[in-house]
Amino acid sequence: MKHRSPLVTLAAVAVAFIIMFTVNMLVSPPGGSSAEPAGPSTAPATSAPAQQTTSAAATPSASTSESTEDKTFPNKIVYAGRTDDKSGAIAVAVLGDQAAAYFCDGRSIESWLRGTVQAADIALKSNDGATLQASLDGDHLKGTVKIKNDRSKFEIDEAKKPAGLYRARGSKTTIGWIVLEDGSQVGIQTAAADSAAAPELNPESPQVTANGESLDAKPINGDEDL
Amino acid sequence: MTSVPVPASEAPTAEPSGTKIGPVVIAFVVGSAVSIGLGVYGRLHTPTGYAVNIAGFSNGPAAKAFLASIVMALAILQIVTAMGIYGRIPLRGAWVSPLHRWSGRLAVLISVPVAVHCLYALGFQTYDGRVIAHSLFGCFFYGAFVFKMLILTRDDSPKWALPLAGGLVLSGLTALWITGVLYFLVA
Repeated sequence: MKHRSPLVTLAAVAVAFIIMFTVNMLVSPPGGSSAEPAGPSTAPATSAPAQQTTSAAATPSASTSESTEDKTFPNKIVYAGRTDDKSGAIAVAVLGDQAAAYFCDGRSIESWLRGTVQAADIALKSNDGATLQASLDGDHLKGTVKIKNDRSKFEIDEAKKPAGLYRARGSKTTIGWIVLEDGSQVGIQTAAADSAAAPELNPESPQVTANGESLDAKPINGDEDL
Repeated sequence: MTSVPVPASEAPTAEPSGTKIGPVVIAFVVGSAVSIGLGVYGRLHTPTGYAVNIAGFSNGPAAKAFLASIVMALAILQIVTAMGIYGRIPLRGAWVSPLHRWSGRLAVLISVPVAVHCLYALGFQTYDGRVIAHSLFGCFFYGAFVFKMLILTRDDSPKWALPLAGGLVLSGLTALWITGVLYFLVA
């Protein structure tokens, strides 16, 4: 004896897949599905040369700085650097369509921001009202962060491990670190309303002690709840 | 030797006459092809880093974790009702089989938006062990599901085939949940 209902179930699942894919393709940002400018970390190595030739052929005129809207973020990347006015450091972690950022001056002002990626643009905000807008500019990330009516511009580059953004969280204390490419660190530890400079972080063995608690620092990838 | 028929009840490893292994092999091949197809698509398709968000959640990963957890809960209901159907636990009644079927259908349908988001926005990735495992299990899960559905279409499959297929589906889903949602919640 044969049963047909499992096949109906299979067909229904297949249809659901097709509908979801179609909806996704229809709402994707313009140019996203046709030009497919992939980030370097997501593209298989073999397709990289082919991609370069297609994008060069497709946009022969916009080869220099105007090609920003052609670019999208790599699937996983962290940018870090100092703000243009050197008032603090900023790190932005992107994972898929999610992004997280941390601004901190190393003494008292800090903000954790969270948001989403739209093609080459990211927009993030924090629970306390800080905002960050940035766009890809070649390999740099260029943008503005606004915290309590203070605006800082930045233009930062990719931070390869061990550089990047780290965070440790205990029952009382939260610590954030931005580790820059040159190895220097900017961080703040916060317990209740008190903020102070963060203890030194060793990215290789990320354990620190703060206010009597032993904490594990974790790299922030971009999709965490902050 | 060959002239003495072995009663099926005395030889648990021997299959009762009338069962066919062929359709199980075919179902396995089709399921494997689905797994491989998903993996190839996930690898070749350039991830968009973008997909439709499901309204009402703070962000994409939270929505995915929520939906995947519903699927996981339904999957636990699946193994409980399956054990009832097979008489392993005292769970009887005309409602057990329909509950198994419909909770399963609901589970796999809810899993689709999650899987499409993974495939479309993120793709098959290999940047660390967890991600490799999650990508592999994701492809495996839908292949195992197809395998199980195809086995269900026939009554003449060997007795072990359906529990094996169901076990593969549940194992795949559990591994997906651990490498996806649990990681998302604790990390």
